[in-house]
Amino acid sequence: MSVKELRPSGPPPSSGGSGSRRPSTDGPLTKLSKAIYRQAPEVWDNLRPLALFHNIYKSVYRTTAFPKTERERSEAFFNSFLLHIQPAKIEKHALRFTYTFGLGLLSTYLFLLLTISGLLLMFVYVPSVQDAYGRMQDLHSSVSFGYILRGMHFWSANAMIAVVFFHMCRVFYTGAYKAPREFNWVIGVILMVLTLILGFTGYLLPWDQLAFWAITVGAGIAGKANWISDNLNSLPHPPGAPPVPPLGDLTRWALLGSDTVGQEALIRFYVLHVAILPVIITLFIVYHMWRIRKDGGISSPKESPE
Amino acid sequence: MKRIREEEIFPRNPNKTYGLMELVKGSSTRVDRGPDDMVSSWPHLLIREAALFAACFAVILALSVFKPAPLELEANPQKPPNPAKAPWYFLGLQELVAYDAFWGGLGIPGLVVIGLMAIPYLDRHHSGIGRWFAKSRRMACTLWTGYVVIVIVLIIIGQYFRGPNWAWYTPWNMPPEVQ
Repeated sequence: MSVKELRPSGPPPSSGGSGSRRPSTDGPLTKLSKAIYRQAPEVWDNLRPLALFHNIYKSVYRTTAFPKTERERSEAFFNSFLLHIQPAKIEKHALRFTYTFGLGLLSTYLFLLLTISGLLLMFVYVPSVQDAYGRMQDLHSSVSFGYILRGMHFWSANAMIAVVFFHMCRVFYTGAYKAPREFNWVIGVILMVLTLILGFTGYLLPWDQLAFWAITVGAGIAGKANWISDNLNSLPHPPGAPPVPPLGDLTRWALLGSDTVGQEALIRFYVLHVAILPVIITLFIVYHMWRIRKDGGISSPKESPE
Repeated sequence: MKRIREEEIFPRNPNKTYGLMELVKGSSTRVDRGPDDMVSSWPHLLIREAALFAACFAVILALSVFKPAPLELEANPQKPPNPAKAPWYFLGLQELVAYDAFWGGLGIPGLVVIGLMAIPYLDRHHSGIGRWFAKSRRMACTLWTGYVVIVIVLIIIGQYFRGPNWAWYTPWNMPPEVQ
């Protein structure tokens, strides 16, 4: 490592005449500093700005900021909290932009932007049918940068859905779902479904006409599960057996908490959107990334014949 | 393999990631293998990741400044728009629902998700990994392209070709009250 220990150098602050036994006329602060110097002369050296900055930096980052040798470059990755989940060395093929188009990382970035902008929006938003729409108007009129914040959340969400789908296409076209990465593909499909559900639950929150009627349509689709229970009930069944409950109505009720989209639906969608689903999707994202490493990194043409 | 000496022969060079650890009997594991084509992640991977984040952030910021998120009138349960459309990513589902309520809305989408998860267990042939549109996977790529085209066409139909009462309209004949 090229990090050097800075040694104390230069003369310490003068401590007055040496050897003189005359009673001191120094003030209490000077006395204190002299006492500190007698006990630990290096303290003053440690307080010099350059040395202090260097020592603080070195305590946070054990690796040099500008690694030069191969060894330091490896250490820059595996000693770093944020970077250690990635390999210290990577195949040249994996770096080609036209191989992945960065789509997987891009969806992670969009999720990060969504998390940050979403948390900030939570300071303004109120999940109540009386207040929600007014708060949206506030974002566009009275909250500083409110419309930019909402716009970033809106565009990141729409972009994430598209990017996740393109990422899935990339993985398919390059055969990257094949062994040993089969299960990571399954996790990826789950992540796509979670992304769609997150988008859907967030769609209601502005409480405008678009939101209200889109969720009415969506909840209506969930109600179509009645088809299953209706058909089961029309089959011959033993006398006295209770009928299968209407599955679609149950699902719709679970989603909306009522027969129509209203306050109950809003609070359910809100809690799902800001707490439950983000935690679930974060766990799946972390697992997805861990699997990339454990399955041998990103797919490579070296793994199979043409 | 059996250790034959246990003394340090060469001093360790701190500028190298490798060093001579010990001498053993047997052939080297690297015999008859080409160079591994690896580069350091620092800076080659890091710089690309940083650039991608900058680009991503810039595009999203520009969109949100120049094209703010839409906000319509406050929700009014008494005034349903005609047609009421789902979010764009569910318009394909809504289009299918127009043909058959259960199969369009739940049956087919459920089977699609199960089918997607099943792909790596059905297609076990270990060929064409790491290449776009490998020749040996022409069949698989064609099927997938068919799926993608269906998804996109259904969404486009739902977004631009469906007007009041979910009837067929061309975008240039769309009644003005439909957004």
